[in-house]
Amino acid sequence: MFEFDLFELTRDTVTMAVGFTAVLASLGVILCSAPVYCALYLISNMICLALLFLLYNAEFIAAVQIIVYAGAVMILFLFIIALLGGKKEVQESSAQRSMAFTFVITMLGELFLAATVGPTKPIEGGFDPQTVAQVGGSAKAIGLELFSRHLVPFELASGLLLVAAVGIICLAKFSYAPVRRRTR
Amino acid sequence: MIDDAIEFLEPYTYLIIGSVKALVIAGALLGIVPLLVWLERRLMGRFQVRLGPNRVGPFGLGQPISDSIKLLFKESIIQGSADKFLFHLAPAIVVFTAIVTFAVIPFGDPITVMDQEIGLWAANVDIGLLFVFAISGMGIYGMVLAGFSSNNKYSLMGGLRSSAQMISYELTLGLAALSVIVLTGSLSLIDMVNSQDSYPNILIQPLAFLLFFIAGVAETNRAPFDLPEAEQELVAGFHTEYTGMKFAMFFMGEYINMVTMSALVTLLFLGGWNSYGIPVWPIIAFAGKVGFLLCVFIWLRSTYPRIRYDRLMTFGWKVLVPLSLLNLLVTSVFVVL
Repeated sequence: MFEFDLFELTRDTVTMAVGFTAVLASLGVILCSAPVYCALYLISNMICLALLFLLYNAEFIAAVQIIVYAGAVMILFLFIIALLGGKKEVQESSAQRSMAFTFVITMLGELFLAATVGPTKPIEGGFDPQTVAQVGGSAKAIGLELFSRHLVPFELASGLLLVAAVGIICLAKFSYAPVRRRTR
Repeated sequence: MIDDAIEFLEPYTYLIIGSVKALVIAGALLGIVPLLVWLERRLMGRFQVRLGPNRVGPFGLGQPISDSIKLLFKESIIQGSADKFLFHLAPAIVVFTAIVTFAVIPFGDPITVMDQEIGLWAANVDIGLLFVFAISGMGIYGMVLAGFSSNNKYSLMGGLRSSAQMISYELTLGLAALSVIVLTGSLSLIDMVNSQDSYPNILIQPLAFLLFFIAGVAETNRAPFDLPEAEQELVAGFHTEYTGMKFAMFFMGEYINMVTMSALVTLLFLGGWNSYGIPVWPIIAFAGKVGFLLCVFIWLRSTYPRIRYDRLMTFGWKVLVPLSLLNLLVTSVFVVL
């Protein structure tokens, strides 16, 4: 009397639900007028993305997504919003609104283009669960890939981040000598 | 009908076992909270040369029960200026993340019941340690949102302090754990325990143990690092405006986090459920180590005064982070050689 595969069905339902929530959350980011709720919608969107990674067996990426984006980056957003006091934004100019519409139409056009040109191609040398398990976990698979084939771009990216960090400190540096507090 | 259902459910036994395990572990965690509150009050009493609660039941064991009943029946007050939704959401986030973090903590070798091998953990993921850091990092939102939604300057200060403090100390926590990861070569907590079957990691990584424990105390917002709720300066920090059960939920979160942190220290540095020749069940060995660490948490609270906020940040960034980086460097060099 029970003919369906429970596991597949649950998996598909969960995937659809998470994807739908992610879309709703990203709509919330742009439609909500209170900054705190925008930030919260963004956090939930990132959590949904992490869940999607998890559903496709990319555990390491999911954990890193939550630690870096949902955990570290968004907490700073929330920190700033809490410091400045999240008042509701009032819609001011119609120029911004028309710009936003242009942007949305461009995006829709690109989506249409992508849909007509053909399905997205899978990444070369794709990893299926068997190969990942053979290497010994998703963390190891990514590490091997990152530090062997993509070593130079990876190091260049870290150099770029370092330059950005130094640049921020230079831009934000106080022009006067800051009052030194005795700390010990 | 029933036979059909049993036949249909046969291949999904692991799902049923998993759900039961999840329920048992969550229930046990919630049940351990009143016990810990009792232990803390009794021990604090002893440390301060007084009796502690001793009227309700034997040894005052009935005190937590009467306290929880009192909290459940208290009127829940929300001031008009608060953001209602976030005000309700914040304590839920704290308790939820605290319980979910414990999902990947193993506390014994797999046991066999009725031809079914049952692992004594809720989930065995191969990124165990990263999962713990990811979910416990989400717990900060509970405190920040509680501070923000209360619409109160003391609460806001508490929330901001908690986010700054937890981000700073998470770095040390991660770097100290990374030394153990480098030694073990795996992120799985079960592999880490199995690699310590001859001697615990604390013998070869004493500095990492110290750093991890200090950062762990700061992560759980316990004294002497309980600046988010410093009652002398911030009234009670982020939970100033909370009453009744919602107030108690923050404490539930804090105590469950304490248990998780003690379990993590046990798994990473004290050899998990390995008993090193002492003839006890693995699960008793594990529980004993965790219990000892919980007592150390309470001991620290009654020994040290709260440190000043700027000193906390200086200590975190200028002492702990460089030390943990150095430790990681030395460990990596030794592993490579």
